[in-house]
Amino acid sequence: MSTNPYIQLLITVLLTIVFIAASSYGIGALARWIARLRGAKPSKQEKVFAGYLFASPWIVGFLIFVVIPMGFSLYWSFTDYRVISNEPPHWIGLANYANLLFHDSSFKAALVNTLYLTVIGLPLEMAVALFLAALLNRKAKGERIFRMAFYLPVILGFNTAVLLAWRLMLNTGTGIINQLWRAVSTFAPVSYLLRAGIYVQEVTAAFFLGINNGTFNLLNKVIEAGFPAANRVPGWVQSPLWSKMSVILLIVWGCGQMMLIFLAGLNNVPKELHEAAEVDGASPMQRFWKISFPLLTPYVFYNLIVGMIASIQIFEPIFVLYRDNQPLVSSAISIVYYLWQKSFSHFEIGYGAAISWIILVLILIVTVIQFRLQNRWVNYDLY
Amino acid sequence: MKQTWKIIRSAFLYLMLTFATVVMAFPLFWMISSSLKTVEETNSAGLIWVSPHPTIQAYLDIFQNTNFTRAYFNSVFYVTLALFGTLISIAAVSYAFSRIDWPGKNIVFFLMLSTMMIPSQALIVPQYVFFNKIDWINTFNPLVIPGYFAGGAAMVFLLRQSMQQIPRELDESAFVDGANHFQIWWEIILPLTKGSLATVATFLFVGLWNSLLTPLMYLQTVDRYTLPVFISTLYNVNQTVQPWPTIMTAAVLTTIPLMVVFFFAQRYILDSVVVSGLKG
Repeated sequence: MSTNPYIQLLITVLLTIVFIAASSYGIGALARWIARLRGAKPSKQEKVFAGYLFASPWIVGFLIFVVIPMGFSLYWSFTDYRVISNEPPHWIGLANYANLLFHDSSFKAALVNTLYLTVIGLPLEMAVALFLAALLNRKAKGERIFRMAFYLPVILGFNTAVLLAWRLMLNTGTGIINQLWRAVSTFAPVSYLLRAGIYVQEVTAAFFLGINNGTFNLLNKVIEAGFPAANRVPGWVQSPLWSKMSVILLIVWGCGQMMLIFLAGLNNVPKELHEAAEVDGASPMQRFWKISFPLLTPYVFYNLIVGMIASIQIFEPIFVLYRDNQPLVSSAISIVYYLWQKSFSHFEIGYGAAISWIILVLILIVTVIQFRLQNRWVNYDLY
Repeated sequence: MKQTWKIIRSAFLYLMLTFATVVMAFPLFWMISSSLKTVEETNSAGLIWVSPHPTIQAYLDIFQNTNFTRAYFNSVFYVTLALFGTLISIAAVSYAFSRIDWPGKNIVFFLMLSTMMIPSQALIVPQYVFFNKIDWINTFNPLVIPGYFAGGAAMVFLLRQSMQQIPRELDESAFVDGANHFQIWWEIILPLTKGSLATVATFLFVGLWNSLLTPLMYLQTVDRYTLPVFISTLYNVNQTVQPWPTIMTAAVLTTIPLMVVFFFAQRYILDSVVVSGLKG
């Protein structure tokens, strides 16, 4: 085959199309033949043929790219398979899983960091998303432009280019964010507020890093250092205490998807309820918390699941901002980043396969728990 | 009195909205502004909103950088091919799930929905080994071919929902006129679901254009890099002075296609289409 990657891709695409057409026709014809054997009417036979014909790209892809790989990865997760050595995989039983869950400090760090993103980042993201949705829901003139602006970060997303723009902005010494931070800190009350923020965030981060490392020296140091001095600024992407907060900042900035979901929820709140409450003299705040919010709980629930799954899967920010940078990597490492590191940097396929199975199980557990808990607090009265 | 309150309230609302817009759009502004600065200006300790002497030197330089132009071409090339195949196969599968009654449809549909629970990262390890076996490492094939098999259950779901809303009488009368399924799909159903197709195409485009993990896994030499991979090499953690104007120029040029696509597709995305996934 040609070594030119472009021609190679074009040829492969053509072959793939032929393969899909042939396999779809084959599956369709097979289904029709079975239907005929079962004595279906000719019109029904045609439906069977057409249905399987159109659906089989997915069916074939499901077998090739999901079922078979999952089978192999389940097997490899019980072996010491490494792709660069020519040795066949050796069965080592549950050793990979036992290592991951009980001995691997990087994996533990990844789990704790995910917890941090979920416990601290997710509520922040949802609060901002809800706030923006509530603003848009006032139906101001030019609402469309604001909506576009709020959604734009989702499109730009975690593109490397945009992440690096954030990297520039978050520079501790010369970055625009800290320069603005210093500028507003010249006003004493703001300065106290910002420093209190620094203190709370650093104590929290040090606590989580303490869980990671098993010693709380850093936490003690942070507490001993006491209330931050007047010239203190956040360390953002250059400090282990702030590395996760920087990622949270990015996540909060990209809250547009959640905002759209909330906006749809707010749109579904019946106007009559608000009108009736207004007549009774309820303030806008009261109306929001007593009427809109309870009816929004299904949307909160949906965003919660999606957000938790997203924080397990976060990869790009960690790679772009912290790769090759100990000890920052370990302070911000995510589960998927660790999977990438083990599988494609160290080529430990067996170990990587075990990580991916844990990811899968974690996501299942998160979803099941949330569905179990939802009837305690989610209000579906209107739906 | 009530009138005054109303004006104050609405002024406050606009103030908040404008503030939020400035915050959200700020990274974009900063990207453009930094791309027009010199290296010294981007690293200066003083606050420089816009360079007093803007220079387009970084733009002139980056077009001389064949690694960048090639990465750009690579991204355009592979994203176009992947988008085309993924969109058509998704449209075909959605047709099967919405317009035809065939035995086993519900089971297959349920299977497809359950794959939404499987994160793509859970599959990358075995897929990598598989593509390694058939010698596809350092080619664009692994980034493109899986999409041709209707990759993306959420997108199929979205398109199926909108196809289901078209009245069935349309197909039936077309059948009477002698049309076959292929013609009905291509000539009746697809034109009627243009909005959803545009939404799906936008999401697919954004996902492919921003994608970092898969290209990073499969592409090994710099002449095959896609834009996100190439740009990530411009920034080196262990270097003290980063060439920020160059990086930000590459960043601006990378985000332009995203902005253009978003501008044209926003009316499809921002309306409640996205929510169809939630309400079923």
